[in-house]
Amino acid sequence: MTLNPMHQFEVYRLGPEIIFGTVNLSFTNSSLFMLISTLAILAMLYLGTKKKLLVPSKIQLVTEMSYTFVAKMINDTAGSSAKPFFPFIFTIFMFVLFCNMVGMLPYSFTVTSHIIVTFALAVFIFIGITIIGFIKHGIKYLELFVPKGVPLVLLPLIVIIEIISYLSRPISLSVRLFANMMAGHTMLKVFGGFVISLGLLGGWLPLGFSIALIGLEILVAFLQAYVFAILTCIYLNDALNLHH
Amino acid sequence: MKEIKEISTRLEIAKKKISNKQEEDGGSNAASFGKALKISTELVAAVVVGSIIGFILDSWFDTKPLLTIIFFIMGVAAGIINVIKSAKKMQKN
Repeated sequence: MTLNPMHQFEVYRLGPEIIFGTVNLSFTNSSLFMLISTLAILAMLYLGTKKKLLVPSKIQLVTEMSYTFVAKMINDTAGSSAKPFFPFIFTIFMFVLFCNMVGMLPYSFTVTSHIIVTFALAVFIFIGITIIGFIKHGIKYLELFVPKGVPLVLLPLIVIIEIISYLSRPISLSVRLFANMMAGHTMLKVFGGFVISLGLLGGWLPLGFSIALIGLEILVAFLQAYVFAILTCIYLNDALNLHH
Repeated sequence: MKEIKEISTRLEIAKKKISNKQEEDGGSNAASFGKALKISTELVAAVVVGSIIGFILDSWFDTKPLLTIIFFIMGVAAGIINVIKSAKKMQKN
């Protein structure tokens, strides 16, 4: 049972069952680890900004670096018009990063390895950005689907293709994060299982492999949070500045 | 006062060094890895979305499997357009 590599992704209920109509709102291990990640972010930001030292302490340094990292990312990809959306992007980046990183700890649960979590995030981003685009440009936002310099005969085809391409954004955003996290954790578990089954004699090779994989997974955990946030910035840029 | 001035000039020199280093790195390894992951999913997602739209329209109009096939091909086209767009964006930077 414990050797099953998919066992780690099981969601189970903690505490009493809460059901509203047809919706099951019970507190699960997934919710617990979301809560842990959120509390970790709040603790880091609180401790990092409590004492405003001229020569920063380690935690203050990390907090300030995360701030400048996200601010620079928004400035580079979406320009200064996206400045008001800094809290939005920062929240998404920190939440995904902490969920990924908390998932790297032994015995923990990776929230982002479930497609429903990443898909919900991506759909909210998608709907929000579409609304922002319509508020900013009104009905002219639909020009996004009509590229310039296309012959009239091809236009219906191109518009449908552009709409498909636009609708594929939340799918690609969510599947990327989910697939990377799930594949990585499954692979770690499979190599961990090899260590057990090969025993003292041959287990050293997969052990070394899984140590290297953990390094790779930490890189992927950071990278996926970065890609998730940077793509949100790019979509935001498309919505704010129509023709770029 | 003199000390503060000295520190500020030293800070500026250090900042310049950092920015020079970052420019040399350009697209660092991690960033290019991220871009590679990005492009692959973009291609696949459009195909999936196209096929799903085709499938839904098919069950509405009862024209199985015609629209699924048409929208699958359109999805492939959309995926390729996605990839070309993001490749162009990369070239710009």
